[in-house]
Amino acid sequence: MKYALLIYEDEAFYGPDKSGSKIEEIVGKHMAFAQELGARRLGGAGLKSTPSATTIRTSAGKKTVHDGPFAEAREQLGGFYLIEAADLDEAIAIAKKVPVLQDGAIEIRPLLQP
Amino acid sequence: MNGSAIERVFRAASGRITAALVARFRDLSLAEDAFSESCVRALSAWQETGVPDDPAAWLYRVASRVAVDMLRRQRTRRQFVPDPPPPDPTAEEVMIDDRHVIPDERLRLIFICCHPAVAPDARAALTLRLICGLTVSEISRAFLIDEATLAQRLVRAKRKIADAAVPFELPAPEYWSERLEAMLSTLEVAYSKAHEDAAGLTRHAGFAAEMLHLSTMLVDLMPDEGEAHALAALLHYAEARRPARTDARGMMVPLSLQDPALWHRELIAAADAFLVQAARLAPESARTLQAKLQACWCTRANLSEPAPWGCVRDVYDQLLRVRDDAIVRLNRVVAVAELDGADVALAELDTLDDKGLAQFGPYHAVRADLLARTGRADEARAEYQVVLALDPPPAERQWLIQRLGELSAKLQ
Repeated sequence: MKYALLIYEDEAFYGPDKSGSKIEEIVGKHMAFAQELGARRLGGAGLKSTPSATTIRTSAGKKTVHDGPFAEAREQLGGFYLIEAADLDEAIAIAKKVPVLQDGAIEIRPLLQP
Repeated sequence: MNGSAIERVFRAASGRITAALVARFRDLSLAEDAFSESCVRALSAWQETGVPDDPAAWLYRVASRVAVDMLRRQRTRRQFVPDPPPPDPTAEEVMIDDRHVIPDERLRLIFICCHPAVAPDARAALTLRLICGLTVSEISRAFLIDEATLAQRLVRAKRKIADAAVPFELPAPEYWSERLEAMLSTLEVAYSKAHEDAAGLTRHAGFAAEMLHLSTMLVDLMPDEGEAHALAALLHYAEARRPARTDARGMMVPLSLQDPALWHRELIAAADAFLVQAARLAPESARTLQAKLQACWCTRANLSEPAPWGCVRDVYDQLLRVRDDAIVRLNRVVAVAELDGADVALAELDTLDDKGLAQFGPYHAVRADLLARTGRADEARAEYQVVLALDPPPAERQWLIQRLGELSAKLQ
């Protein structure tokens, strides 16, 4: 089974352009974690802050381009992993080890094509 | 065999057969549908041939064949080939007793149904549906929810289990205690939710019996788990006291005023036996201690014997050592009031951090009672109004209104 682990955190914690000591700390942890995952990690990336986001909305067949993320929320999608796991229990065990520096959430989503 | 006897055969066999089918085909909906279909076929086949010697084995064999057929049809529809299911039972298997024909996979299925990734409001319902064979309409009545809503929840839960690949295995050792706790607390909450309204005696009678059955089954399936024994003890004690929980008018009767003559002695004896094992295997567990509290009460033979407040306070003291929270302290205060007087209890109650308790009816009910007993009638009345505004269950509401009435009468 393939799963996406979506990392939601309050991005304000990392500063306006995600630079500085906190981001260095978390990136270091992610690199160590990716190493630990080895072949079970199929992909993944950290994302720049939502002010850099552009959203294309389709409404009644019409596409419009907007500044910012799709929805305003207290926690934003800040990065993701694509992993291979035997089942949900293994995916949960991996997701529990995803490094976080603050309150937040990891959403586990099975991929449409397992 | 008449229709309702056959229904009982179906129900008794449903959990074991569904669980075995789930373990074999790894598909909850398929297992459920195949079992239902085998019951439909049994109704007509048994009319002609009579009920077979081993109806469960008959149902399992037919359900397995139905499941294989269903899988084949799905495969042609979807154009892809899943792993082939294990072969049909052999001729020798047909000859032997159903215990050997149907592997007992119920524990696996219970863990699947109560997986923390399944929506909390669907877990117990799914367990009761698949393991105990309760109908959606019976479960919806016990949980006081609309039948269509419940059916929808069950469909969603089954889809989630399949889509997210909840494992069809017993939890691995490293997840065992966490998953066991999730499962036991699911069932505990489901029972207390149905138990909450003391007036709902008839509505919940069948449901409660199934919960007792399920808790006993867990003990049989996990004889070395003290927590399972503790849950079985708790449920049996609670159920034993059910007839005394309300009076003839449907009004709540507080524990200390319940007539022990109305308690089910057989259920208490069963609970005592579960508690002995729980105390041996998991002496420090909060659940064991809660069962001990019930045991304190259930030793009372009649109302002229003094209420066991000393025993109750001792057990609350033990409980505080493993689980120090406002609810445990609140319950302890009730015992303190009886042993050391209402003044002492009220002083203790007022030291509790009431932030979480503000919306908790029983907190205000205890406070109201203590205020009344210490002569602060006006404040007591105000507290009773607070409880009533929090919308207590009907039997409790009646009792609170009566207390409030007594208080007002005294003032005049």
